[in-house]
Amino acid sequence: MSAPAESAGGIEAIRAENIVKRFGSILALNGVSIHVNRGEILGILGDNGAGKSTLIKILTGFHQPDGGRLFVDGEEVALASVDHARSLGIECVYQDLALINTLSVYHNMFLNRELSRPPFGLLDHREMRKRAAAALDDIGVGVPSVEAEVARLSGGQRQAIAVARAVYSNARILLLDEPLAAMGAREAGLIIDLVERLRSRGDIAIIMIAHNYAQTLDICDRVVLVQHGEITFESHSAETTVEELLEIVRREYRAARRA
Amino acid sequence: MDTTPRGAGGAEAVPPAPARRFGLGRVVGGFLVWREASVILVAVLLVLYFELTNGNFLSSDNIVTVSQFVAAPAIIACGEIMLLICKEIDLSAGQTFALAPFLVYFGAKFGLPVIPAIVVALLICAAIGLSIGLITVLLGVPSFVTTLGTYFLITGITLTISRGFPATPPGGGILTGIMGAYGYSEIIWALLIVALMHIVLRHTRWGLHTSAVGGNEVAAAEAGIDVRRIKVGNFILTAMLAGFTGIIEAYRVGSNDPLAGGSTIMFLGVASGVIGGTALTGGSGTIIGGFIGAVVLGVLQDGFTLQGINAFLFDGIIGAAILIAMIANIRLARWQRGVAR
Repeated sequence: MSAPAESAGGIEAIRAENIVKRFGSILALNGVSIHVNRGEILGILGDNGAGKSTLIKILTGFHQPDGGRLFVDGEEVALASVDHARSLGIECVYQDLALINTLSVYHNMFLNRELSRPPFGLLDHREMRKRAAAALDDIGVGVPSVEAEVARLSGGQRQAIAVARAVYSNARILLLDEPLAAMGAREAGLIIDLVERLRSRGDIAIIMIAHNYAQTLDICDRVVLVQHGEITFESHSAETTVEELLEIVRREYRAARRA
Repeated sequence: MDTTPRGAGGAEAVPPAPARRFGLGRVVGGFLVWREASVILVAVLLVLYFELTNGNFLSSDNIVTVSQFVAAPAIIACGEIMLLICKEIDLSAGQTFALAPFLVYFGAKFGLPVIPAIVVALLICAAIGLSIGLITVLLGVPSFVTTLGTYFLITGITLTISRGFPATPPGGGILTGIMGAYGYSEIIWALLIVALMHIVLRHTRWGLHTSAVGGNEVAAAEAGIDVRRIKVGNFILTAMLAGFTGIIEAYRVGSNDPLAGGSTIMFLGVASGVIGGTALTGGSGTIIGGFIGAVVLGVLQDGFTLQGINAFLFDGIIGAAILIAMIANIRLARWQRGVAR
């Protein structure tokens, strides 16, 4: 049993040890181990099909691993479902699936956790608006109005709201699936600022799946590289470079072409 | 559920108001930004037109007549709007409409007092809605297809149990009057149901979840909403509302007609919703808009009847008028979105 370890950032939030996952004859994950501390951002890099998404889906309880162990706050857990993971404070923000475009910002923030008031249990729109505005303000997300339809917001604002919702619903382990994909520099900057503010709170552990090496090294405290279901490289961001990462991927690519 | 906002800052934060216009433009703009404004405008213009060309349109007799044109599509629209919002449709609502009064009739014939007979009939309608819903969500058949099947199936049942003959709805006196025979009873039922369904859509979890399911089914499910439950529930609701409309219509007319309703009443309901601003693409809609959409259709039917246009041309003119009203509405709505931005 692995005890919570003090290291960069803070107390260990989640640890995966030797995770194995098979889909039929395909070995998607072959003994992957990662860990993240509170107040720390871990970047997961890798090609499409390398196993990043499978790993994330195991951490969110969507898939169950065929081997290996998971620890949340130092306790070994078997995540039975997405709801189970969520009850432990694990929340994943997907790029485009997260929000309902036809609903307002505050309805999205409170979706399926609506506030209602007696005697008939009707929705308490006023209180939800107020708290949504406060929560967004608290983590520094600016939107024109909490009553605005989400469809009218920019990609960056939408992503920020999805993150804010996860944090507001008490997420303590936040998984961000390609949070910067398909985003312009200004929009990406919005999300990077937000993620860094969340890190500075010190109580949230963040795992970020990304494609862009430069951005990832810039934002994350540590990075791991996933290739064909294994972690082939792991480093503190300060101790590696984009060139080093590229060289590893290049080697892999050449090997694949020879094969 | 954590409902406590963290951090003190921003509790008083008020969203910045949308850009304001000035003077008259501001007043007009303020009204038009309101979601149902464009269809209200269309309805008012139509009433003005028919009143100016007829002089008789706003007489109390004619208002009763218009209200009877409006009531049935307005109630059916409430159900269809909920279904459209969650990306479904019930094409067989008009068939349930025709079947329900016969269920009441046979219930009474088998010895049930009238009110329990109505309740039993509505429960059977609920079972029809449940079946449509379960076939749609469990077997993955698009509701367009499911209800195309039930469209013919229910007609067959109605014709079989009625043997194709009309019947007189049971009851009499005050009950018959309240159920539809008094001039205004049908529209009062419609207004009550519209008010109730407006609250359901805007102010309950059910309504919000219905919009969420239509807006993004995956995200709604991700948030823990039971998508199937929402859809099935709205099929049940639609079938019950259609059945109830059929019953009050039968009491108003004083006769059960096995070929009443049908696709006409169903499409009037759907058209009311769409004219009122409910998107066929799902995710958003308005009950109040649907009601006003029904008013627009009722005014058109009644107005052209008063003008005595050629009976053969009648449907053609109604169709053209619906198209024009819809185009006007869509243009206005687009302009509204521009202003609200």
